[in-house]
Amino acid sequence: MATQTETESDTGGVMMRDGAVRRIGEIAAAGFVLAIGGLLVWILATQVNYTLLSSPLIAGRFAEAFFLVIRIVAISSVLSVTFGIMVGLGRISTSPITGRIAKGYVEFFRGTPLLFQLFVIFFGIPRLWATGQFPFENWAVPAAIIGLTLNHAAYVGEAVRGGIDAVPDGQMEAARSLGMSRVMALREVVLPQAWRNALAAIGNDQIILVKDTSLLTVIAVPEIMSVFRNINSNQLDPWTPLVWVCVLYLAITMSMSQLVNGLERRSDWGSDSSMFGRFSLSSSGGSDGGDD
Amino acid sequence: MTACGAVGLTALAGCSGDDGGDGQETITIGSDIPYPPFEYRTESGELTGFDVDIAEAVFADQLGYDYEFQETGFDGIIASLNNANFRVIMSAMTINEERAERVDFSDPYFTAYQTVLILDDGEIGELDDLRGETVGVQRGTTGEAAAESLQSDFDGELTIQSYDQITGAFDALLNNQVSAVINDNTVSGEFASENDAVVFLEGDGVAADREDAPPYLTLTIEEYGIAFRQDDDDFREEVNGALATLREEGTYDEIYNEYFSA
Repeated sequence: MATQTETESDTGGVMMRDGAVRRIGEIAAAGFVLAIGGLLVWILATQVNYTLLSSPLIAGRFAEAFFLVIRIVAISSVLSVTFGIMVGLGRISTSPITGRIAKGYVEFFRGTPLLFQLFVIFFGIPRLWATGQFPFENWAVPAAIIGLTLNHAAYVGEAVRGGIDAVPDGQMEAARSLGMSRVMALREVVLPQAWRNALAAIGNDQIILVKDTSLLTVIAVPEIMSVFRNINSNQLDPWTPLVWVCVLYLAITMSMSQLVNGLERRSDWGSDSSMFGRFSLSSSGGSDGGDD
Repeated sequence: MTACGAVGLTALAGCSGDDGGDGQETITIGSDIPYPPFEYRTESGELTGFDVDIAEAVFADQLGYDYEFQETGFDGIIASLNNANFRVIMSAMTINEERAERVDFSDPYFTAYQTVLILDDGEIGELDDLRGETVGVQRGTTGEAAAESLQSDFDGELTIQSYDQITGAFDALLNNQVSAVINDNTVSGEFASENDAVVFLEGDGVAADREDAPPYLTLTIEEYGIAFRQDDDDFREEVNGALATLREEGTYDEIYNEYFSA
């Protein structure tokens, strides 16, 4: 590709013309869609057992798993965003104690795999009690919620910090010069702008949280991947239950994208706005800073 | 044990491939490890166990092949065999009709029972006490199938938690997550012998009137076989012959006693 581009530009050839580049892009995209779409149609036509796909028994098992995942996501999502905002505020604290603790928190929970954290909570913590004495009998789901919350609070915290950092210093200085305290200036002036900046990154992280629930299969939470694995090992048919898995995850993540888009629209200051709007727009790239 | 068997991973280039320098074929064996005492690693990482010793005797000593074990998850092990990821399965696998539709089994080489493992000081005294409780199993095993059949005996009043590895289910028992673990007697027995807090649930089970019945409740009687792809009949016959020889020569009993005496 590189050599082709060079030779074309040497002769001032096809890659120099906007229309031609556009057409090449269209052909590549269409070719991609045809190849993938063809494969999909072929799989749906030859590999999927539609009697099994529509059997009420399987639908019921997937539905149960689906609603369990939604419950886990809803709770973990609210908790991780709440806790993450606290972590983000801790990161910008003027106190070195708070700042370092928040930094250490982020480094640990972002720096170790979620699977490790889930094992610590599910297999490790109960071992601190004597055999059979651990007081919580159905620990898998609480362990899952705790693990997802602690892990994603670290990412949300970084998104919030990035959002705050992207608000120009002049905003804080101006508010302070009007006699506001630092806390009041943050609350009234900086955070509303930071929220707008951080929203995309937070939404991104929450969609990853949904997909991270698939790891819960290894701590015996009967979630969507677990149902897939049970059906696949009984029926020895991967493609049929995979169709269910795909549809169910997309149903959650696509609704969440819509929700995030709606929130972003609502928090957009619009065209009639003053300098705030322009500042936040021009610096909104900063919100990606917290999204690793 | 051959060097390849001792190391046991296909990643080692020297061991993989069907045409080694001496023209000797390497048999790759799919197995869900750890499942002590059938296949597990010692503290130094060496692969050992009943299946491993039987494989050594059958494939290396009797038939003169090289062999190597490949670790794989149990719930996808039949699909992996049919996708040609390995030649045979030796993974304490129970012969049943469902599986026999997808693979061919060797002659049985081990008899096992599904049993119920509980906490010694727990609240379960008989099978019926499990009604409304939670049991732990390993995903895709006949222990899971036995739990499902118990679930329907209880009109659905039984929750089943399926773990990736049997060790996860044992952990869950110790951690008060499940009231019992339903699994093969030998593997559960190995765990019970290492941990005083757990015991077998007692009672008369399906094996009660058998001569060699174990002294605890048995849910099912099962036989293990080596699984082959369905187009591998010649090789399967070869292995069946070797298994028979092992029994005649007494090697089988030697290996059996090493792992299951008393």
